[in-house]
Amino acid sequence: MMSEQLPLSGVRVADFTWVWAGPFCTLQLAHLGAEVIRIESESRLCVTRRIPPVADGEAGPNRCGYFNQYNQGKHSICLNLKKPEGLEVAKKLVAASDIVAENFAAGVMDRMGLGYETLKTIKPDIIMIALSGYGATGPESPYVSYGPAQVPMSGLASMTGFPDSPPMSVGFSYGDPNGGLHGAFAVLAALMHRARTGEGQYIDMSQWETSVALVGEGIMAQEMNAAAPQRMGNRDPHMAPHGLFRCEGEDRWVSIAVADDAEWQRLCALMEKPDLASDARFATLADRKDNEDALEAAVTDWTTTLSAEEATRTLQAAGLAAFPAVTNKELAEDEHLRSRPFFAELEHPEVGVRQHAGVPWNFSDTPCQVRRPAPCLGRDTEDALQRVLGYSTDEVATLKNNGVLT
Amino acid sequence: MSEHPSSMPDPQAPGPLHGIRVVECGHMVAAAYAGKLMADLGAEVIKVEEPGGDRARQRGPYPENIPHPEKSGLFLYLNTNKRGVTLDLETAQGRELFQRLVKDADVVVHNYHPTQIASLGLEYEALAQQNPKLVMTSISPFGQTGPHREYTAHDLTMWAAGGIVFLGGAGGRPDLPPLKAAGQQAGFQAGVNAGIASLGALYARLGTGRGQHVDISVQECLVAIMENNYIAWPYDQTTPSRLGFRLIPQDVLPCRDGYIYVLAVEEHQWQNAVELMGNPDWANTELFQDFVARSVNWDALKALLEDWLQDKSVHEVYHGAQQRRVPFAPVSTMGDLLKSEHLNARGFFAEIGHPEAGTLRYPGAPFKFAASPWTLRRPAPCLGQHNEEVYCGQLGLVPEELQALQETKVI
Repeated sequence: MMSEQLPLSGVRVADFTWVWAGPFCTLQLAHLGAEVIRIESESRLCVTRRIPPVADGEAGPNRCGYFNQYNQGKHSICLNLKKPEGLEVAKKLVAASDIVAENFAAGVMDRMGLGYETLKTIKPDIIMIALSGYGATGPESPYVSYGPAQVPMSGLASMTGFPDSPPMSVGFSYGDPNGGLHGAFAVLAALMHRARTGEGQYIDMSQWETSVALVGEGIMAQEMNAAAPQRMGNRDPHMAPHGLFRCEGEDRWVSIAVADDAEWQRLCALMEKPDLASDARFATLADRKDNEDALEAAVTDWTTTLSAEEATRTLQAAGLAAFPAVTNKELAEDEHLRSRPFFAELEHPEVGVRQHAGVPWNFSDTPCQVRRPAPCLGRDTEDALQRVLGYSTDEVATLKNNGVLT
Repeated sequence: MSEHPSSMPDPQAPGPLHGIRVVECGHMVAAAYAGKLMADLGAEVIKVEEPGGDRARQRGPYPENIPHPEKSGLFLYLNTNKRGVTLDLETAQGRELFQRLVKDADVVVHNYHPTQIASLGLEYEALAQQNPKLVMTSISPFGQTGPHREYTAHDLTMWAAGGIVFLGGAGGRPDLPPLKAAGQQAGFQAGVNAGIASLGALYARLGTGRGQHVDISVQECLVAIMENNYIAWPYDQTTPSRLGFRLIPQDVLPCRDGYIYVLAVEEHQWQNAVELMGNPDWANTELFQDFVARSVNWDALKALLEDWLQDKSVHEVYHGAQQRRVPFAPVSTMGDLLKSEHLNARGFFAEIGHPEAGTLRYPGAPFKFAASPWTLRRPAPCLGQHNEEVYCGQLGLVPEELQALQETKVI
């Protein structure tokens, strides 16, 4: 039996977030069935409504893949928070909500008159989460932070890279989604607390700290031995071979991780290289680590004769961990992901049906799926004001005429 | 700064997940991180290890680099606030004991492979029969269904399967392979997703009265986080890679005493950065006149920035930039983090003693709850440390039964 009910059915989120970390937090809540109402503004469009990729090369605030991916299932209202009437609407929305989420720099919500102490007088059990770069306190809390900066700030970059290279990025703005996910976890914990005690609360989340949480191993190494792990490319201290190996085709690679000596023997058999199987340079993990350049060259001799897919199939058939370094196109066309089904393909009024990444969890009883596409800018302004906040048609018209709903 | 609510939580207040009972099992990072997230917020987490122990015990880092199963930094970090028992799930007796353990649990979270689940007695249906309110979260590389469900994986191969490795690495160097992020990032991402899903299912239970099974695919967790890089294909059929053009001028550049991350997205940020550099003439040339020009001519710009930075300290560039609202960031080393004035002012690092590993500082609360705080109450368990407490104290076994289980190596 499957329930119509979703985990967060009946939970409403007043979503003041923008760009990425915040919207990714509220995306998780929308996936879980919360009614997430994003407060937007025509005069200060979210960055993700302005940058590529845009559908078929044609720009427009409702045509951006970035926004449409990370705002699925949400509602959008336009509100001018610089006008007192706009602020009034925002406060009414908070009064009707369970959760307030924001990711401005520390102090911005306070200055707008929407700080926690104010909102608590409007809705005593409100749960408010601030997902700032540095957290709400501490000497650097007023500093500006962008998600990509979290990779270097957290120390992840200092351990990422080739042995002879400077610290390197990880290829995307990792601090944002990671902060958003930790924020969603925190909100859910606060909801559990409220369900059992009736008490709301303020959550101060620092993207920097959620990023340091990902390098606990490195912090422990520093604490124990006053030395952090070195940059080692794709290698691993406990596995060899362990890396990306070139395959047939342009810029095609297969990732392979061999966990122990028995797996190395299986790999040698697959490669039909009995001489390697008995080669003393590669007999044990310690031997393979000592001779890793030669080891990788020997594996590359084999992988370059194969496509990344053939290499993967062969290795996986023998129980060895391998997978191609796939592109976004391969993900979009991946039969496995489609079979799950993972992708969300809903009709959007401006971009039609596009294959968005969907919900990465399959719930057996309260199945979480994307139920509506990302909203066009201000799609739900009238609906939210009337249905949720109880404004009359005339009142909405007046607010509109006064430039409050822009 | 005004006095902020987050700065005054009551450290004695119970965590928001106080009283929630979690059983965690598996290896390495994903299930353990989900368990840690819950344990650190007050849940009562029992970590069930095979008699040989979680493989994270074999990973280190170790004090003085001497391997010891009770001193692995990865294990110590991931298993704070948990109690630990041993149990051989491959034996009938072990599975029966596991059933009893799960009977009163709210959540089971594990990352055993789908091909092992039946032999370990971890099918949801079997466990739910005696505990219909049970939430069970199963983390696996590719999920419980689909043609790749039996594929085996490590963190590296998941980073590849999620499409992320293809984005990382050295731009302009097609001779070098794509590069993974350091550490066990696929595991952490799966772990936080499993934490979200577990709490989501618990919250659902408040309404439905029923538990449920949640199937989490690590691959899907990764495809979901790759910024605009996945969605570029469905929207404009482009494929970002480490070798491609990047529209954001940003890089890690060397200073006198370390590295600084330079980024100036908005025009006013760039203008302020130019001011910080003392308004050099080159900054006013056409080559760098706007965001796009600075991206296209990044190599030339980078050389000029390097020249400016070579005799500066990271500290002066970072704070000088930030005082002008320019979002530069330090490229922290682990030592920098432990010494960070900001992180320490927030009380981020949490210290606790461990009987074998001694007293160490750990990364602490990633979020500060005003009413129900994150706390570090106990260090990671030694292998089987709480066998007696849990099996006798909680399940009611008599000492002779416990001894028999030890002798038959079930625990």
